[in-house]
Amino acid sequence: MLEGIPVLSLIIIMPLVGSLIAFSLGRRENLAKWVALAFALAAFVLSLVVAFEFVVDPYSASPGEIESYSNGYQFYESHVWIETLGINYMVGMDGISLPLFVLTTLLCLLSIVFSWDTKKRPKEYFGLMLVLEVGVLGVFVSLDYFMFYVFWEIVLIPMYFMIGVWGGPNRDYAAIKFFIYTHIASLAMLIAIMAMYFEAGIETFSMVAIAEESVGFSRNIQFAIFAAMLFGFGVKLPMVPFHTWLPDAHVEAPTAGSVLLAGLLLKMGGYGLIRVAIPSLPTGAEDMMIVMAVIAVVSIVYGAVLCLAQTDLKKMVAYSSISHMGFVLLGYATLGELGIVAGVFQMFAHGLVTAVLFMMCGVLQHKCGTRLIPKLGGLAKKMPIAATLLTVGFLASLGLPGLVSFAAEFMVFAAMFFKWGMWVFVPIGAVAITAGYYLWALQRSMFGPLTDRIDTSHLKDVDWYEGVPVAILIVLIAIFGVFPSLVFDRIWPAVDFALRAFGGG
Amino acid sequence: MTVLSMLEPFLPQLLLVVFALMMPALDYIFKDKRILAAVALAPLVGYAVMLVAWTLAGVWEPPESEMSLIEVDLFSGLFALAFVSVGIIVVLGSPESIRQERNHGEYYALILLAVIGMTVVALSTDLILLFVGLEVAGIASFALSGFSKREKRSAEAATKYFIVGGFSSALTLFAISLFYGVSGTTAIADMGPAMEAMFSSFDGMDSVGTLATVMILAGLGFKVAIVPFHMWAPDVYEGSPTPISALLAAASKNMGFAALFKIFLLGLLVTKADWDVAVAVVAIITMTVGNLIAVSQTNIKRMLAYSSVAQAGYILMVLPIGTEYALAGGLFHVLTHAFMKSGAFMVVSAMGVRGVGESLNDFKGLRTRSPLLALAMTLLLLSLAGIPPLAGFASKFVLFSSAVYGSLDPGPSWLIWLAVAGVLNSALSLYYYARVIKYMYMEKGPEDRISVPRLTGVAILFAVVMTVVLGVYFDAVVELCQQAAGGLFNP
Repeated sequence: MLEGIPVLSLIIIMPLVGSLIAFSLGRRENLAKWVALAFALAAFVLSLVVAFEFVVDPYSASPGEIESYSNGYQFYESHVWIETLGINYMVGMDGISLPLFVLTTLLCLLSIVFSWDTKKRPKEYFGLMLVLEVGVLGVFVSLDYFMFYVFWEIVLIPMYFMIGVWGGPNRDYAAIKFFIYTHIASLAMLIAIMAMYFEAGIETFSMVAIAEESVGFSRNIQFAIFAAMLFGFGVKLPMVPFHTWLPDAHVEAPTAGSVLLAGLLLKMGGYGLIRVAIPSLPTGAEDMMIVMAVIAVVSIVYGAVLCLAQTDLKKMVAYSSISHMGFVLLGYATLGELGIVAGVFQMFAHGLVTAVLFMMCGVLQHKCGTRLIPKLGGLAKKMPIAATLLTVGFLASLGLPGLVSFAAEFMVFAAMFFKWGMWVFVPIGAVAITAGYYLWALQRSMFGPLTDRIDTSHLKDVDWYEGVPVAILIVLIAIFGVFPSLVFDRIWPAVDFALRAFGGG
Repeated sequence: MTVLSMLEPFLPQLLLVVFALMMPALDYIFKDKRILAAVALAPLVGYAVMLVAWTLAGVWEPPESEMSLIEVDLFSGLFALAFVSVGIIVVLGSPESIRQERNHGEYYALILLAVIGMTVVALSTDLILLFVGLEVAGIASFALSGFSKREKRSAEAATKYFIVGGFSSALTLFAISLFYGVSGTTAIADMGPAMEAMFSSFDGMDSVGTLATVMILAGLGFKVAIVPFHMWAPDVYEGSPTPISALLAAASKNMGFAALFKIFLLGLLVTKADWDVAVAVVAIITMTVGNLIAVSQTNIKRMLAYSSVAQAGYILMVLPIGTEYALAGGLFHVLTHAFMKSGAFMVVSAMGVRGVGESLNDFKGLRTRSPLLALAMTLLLLSLAGIPPLAGFASKFVLFSSAVYGSLDPGPSWLIWLAVAGVLNSALSLYYYARVIKYMYMEKGPEDRISVPRLTGVAILFAVVMTVVLGVYFDAVVELCQQAAGGLFNP
């Protein structure tokens, strides 16, 4: 059905067109959200079509069987861009990019709905959101390093503006810190990319072609490049000790900004590691394996402990992201198929769950005027729907069986157990802390006696544009929690293929 | 052979001279000073069209002539294109900016003369002619920087520039005489072999050669404002009429690089081992100091001046790397820098025309006051910071990657530190560029709207379009730069 249609480019262009229209609306600012909704919806529907057309295991099929297919990448397109330097416009999708790609179109759509009552400079707000979507989508399907970097950097600008213009009281500091911190990381990655390009010496920036050469690089070179990439991607992930930009950015960003930041931008780091760093530089990855594992476990435990100390609900959720993204890195660090599949699935799971949490923090901020746990209390009486949604979100995040995070975390633990045995109890201990801080926060903010520190007489429950996106996400969390194989089956063959440099994976 | 045929390669320059000399006379005839700008624009546009046409047609065969002093090649062509483009942007922005001043005829004449001097530098293959070009451009720029005669700081700028410029000329000339002493020639291409022969037959000659190298780096270093010869730049850029700041920052600086590239990569490549580490250190110090001081500036012109210092540091990387690919990157960055920097100064000029000041605070709330100016400035600043997909990113990409390339086997591995310093500095520079953007978009300012002055607007549009186009599609330009670099290395 999609034969001959450059469908991935079409999906990337969709929000771009939408943003241009939104920016040029002039005085009809109120139309901006409709424009954004229309284009985000179109992109989402198209990405669903892609998801259903996606061939689950293309590697066993003979090459001619699947339309526009190359090296395991489906919906493949390639056009010459800068011939002199060997830069191509090259996009394609495999089982690793598919879940993140659909997650992107979904979260952007839901964030736009959630921001329905934005009154401050709406056309810029919705326009920037669509630009952000373009960047993230581009990152997830780029097969050319140069292009990958361009999309990677495009993401920074709208997020800088979203934090800086629509953010909280300390937004100036947070915005510039976010911008510069992550920019430095990107530049480390850029140098790594240049080194790979020249060391490969085949005058192309194609990821696939360079990966074929780079697996043969000398040990030292692989180690150096991998270290630069780990830093570049790790800051985005974020991994301790390069995580300090994240709490600031998250706390100050508007709700939709936080959703996209945690739900999508963090995933770019995890995606980069598995798309580029690990399969292209196997010996480098092996040399850094213990480093990655230690950083991952420290991130998991340290993030969880920090959560206990937070009084701001949103800050707590932000720190929990550090902890949960640590699982992604931990899964990767095992360098085994199971661990990496689990890591990718954890990204997908975290994207869904964290979006719920940030949206609910936004609801509380909106309705109560504060997110400070000591000022809240007993809100379940006034806001039963909000309390229910928040509770489900927290339960999903702490890894309740039957919800999506459980499947991912369980697999990470299994992979770690096979690799390092009893060490697995360190991160498992952190899960206990996770349950602790979530339930404790829930008890103090939602249950117990009704608070008298804020005016609760006019407290309203969630609005439709807030409740609907959260409800949709929760349904998905349950579906993928019960049927994780819907996603697993697609990730697995792709990871298997990517790990062929490790001798059969 | 007649005198006329000897002058044939100078035809574009002669055309510019004729127009320059006509200017003061036209000043008496026309009341409307915009006509003067139009007349000054004519030869510049003509020259630009000619350069583009030659490039498109692929003919860079110099006209037959017996003169060995100049060479009309792609290298000079690209530089000339950068100078002429900046000239066009500056002339377009001038009528509105200097309408309060007198003597418009002389003003445009001086701009044309400055452009002539710059193109001569790019064309020359001989140190003496190169020096003549530097002086022609230099003297014209001294006068231009003091053009706002009623403003004290303009006069101060001109005085300062004149003294520093004179000093740097003296250094340059002295270096040239020393080079003549150790090589017996002033032809740049012959210097290297001649010096080698001299060094091997006379003891102590190589120290004279080193002294000459240091002096030429200092002399030209003043022109391109590398640390520690950069002190004049912020004061002069601040005091000059803003279009002239653009001319100095975007064109005059590039002229210095044309000279540096020719002398160091053509003449002094044989002694590269003696100077490459030193120049690399100077490059790193220059970009770091420029960016660090730019952070604390509150005047936008001074900030752009220090950012120019930093950009000079990036381009200076080309010399120690010294490969064809690096020179291609340098040429590309020279081109893109010409557009982004002159564009940014023209935005400041446009605000000046509407009576808005030059301090950072004056940019507050520019988004509501003039959305188009704010957007243009944002694009130009992001490009200067090297954010894709804008031109500044593309050229920095080629430039920095050439350092990475040079550092791999068999090159010296320390070159990687140039790339590392470059990217760290880019991140640092993002701080002050993003701050201006923050002031424009995130702070509240006066509510009154400002309209964009029409001609200045056209100049800005030209710069912005080039900045975006060169960023999104730079295949052809990179290829040209590589050809030009190849032409210099293997004539």
